[in-house]
Amino acid sequence: MAGGQERILRRRIKSVQATRKITKAMELIAASQISRSQARIFANRPYRQGMQRIIIEAALGDPAAAQKLLSMPDTVETAIVIVVAGDRGLSGAYNSSVLRAGERVIKQLQSQGSAVRLFCVGKKAAPFYRFRGLDVERSFVGFADRPSFADARLIASVVAAPFSEEQAQEVLLVSTRFLSAGSQSVETERLLPLSVPDVPIDETPKVLKGYTEFEPDVKELLTSLAPRALESEIFSALLEGAASFHISQQRAMAAATDNADDLGQSLTRIMNRARQDSITTEIMEIVGGAEALRSGK
Amino acid sequence: MTTLLVEIVTPEVALWSGTASSLMARSSVGDFTILPQHTSTVGDLVSGIVRVDTDEGELSFCVHGGYFQVTPDGAEGVTRATVLAGIAERTSDIDVTRAHAAKDAAQEEINSAQRGDANDASALQLARDALARAELRLSIAEK
Repeated sequence: MAGGQERILRRRIKSVQATRKITKAMELIAASQISRSQARIFANRPYRQGMQRIIIEAALGDPAAAQKLLSMPDTVETAIVIVVAGDRGLSGAYNSSVLRAGERVIKQLQSQGSAVRLFCVGKKAAPFYRFRGLDVERSFVGFADRPSFADARLIASVVAAPFSEEQAQEVLLVSTRFLSAGSQSVETERLLPLSVPDVPIDETPKVLKGYTEFEPDVKELLTSLAPRALESEIFSALLEGAASFHISQQRAMAAATDNADDLGQSLTRIMNRARQDSITTEIMEIVGGAEALRSGK
Repeated sequence: MTTLLVEIVTPEVALWSGTASSLMARSSVGDFTILPQHTSTVGDLVSGIVRVDTDEGELSFCVHGGYFQVTPDGAEGVTRATVLAGIAERTSDIDVTRAHAAKDAAQEEINSAQRGDANDASALQLARDALARAELRLSIAEK
């Protein structure tokens, strides 16, 4: 009987070790993806900041036109919400935190009397909302790990159409922003109407003097700029989401590997104790048997 | 000493940056040239070629629409010209066979969309953009 228990324990240790191999491999892969996806965020920064600087400049150049084009409508009848989650799980709280935040945003919009049109990025997003009875208009999948600018352009063109046809008054983006390797946070950003970045991101304050020439004039420029800025913001959100996903997965898999180590160790101890017990029992039986034989002589 | 710092930037990569003596391109208003000490300007770019004159000769970039900004830099006499383009490449990097393939694929997509199920307006628009890009690349490469 004791031997049977030992066998069961040995089998469990084996399965824990096999799982550990998988989590370890996933940890290493995620770690290698982190630096790559981080490099892509840094490569994207000059473009994104240049875009924001042009918007700031244009808004300062003709405040009246900017006010008209960029101000929020009084009532939002329909709002578009884009939620950026991951294609894969096993990444700690990455998916669930952004999905929950998206759900809160939707609830809030609905309580204010706005209809919500929901767009999702990542395989994990659409099932979450469908399960909760929300209608997902379109789900973009397959590129959450490694988004390209073409992916961002596709999303932008899909969500910009209802906005420019005035079927929607607001476009919101819920995604995980990559603040640093150690900190990521879920944030909601208003994409349309364009918001003028309130903090001048540039270190040279000369940018903000407001005696700039415009070709064509500010109104036309801002109108044509809106879809481009939308692409740029969506792309940076995708990149930061991908980096946050990899970091989150690496952390989760490192924790899983540690747990597997602990579990393996304690199982090994229990198994050794069981084996020792069975040996002790056997010796006692042999000694007992020998005693019985000798006294029986 | 006056210098012009030029940066050509796309969302995926900062394509080129360095000092130049002039930058030539076309906006929706018309052709323009930026020289050092140019006044602050913000404008758009139509698809076409952006030429940058540097010490090592003229560099040309194929730009598929974008924006530019000229500002005085922090330092004295330095002007910074930033070109922001969603898609751009060095004209010497244009892959003709790939452009041909892209043109055919885009044409095919447009045709099939027009034949019937044109329910996805944004996909059609993207295909049209791709066709325009392929045609621009080919026209530049064949010059």
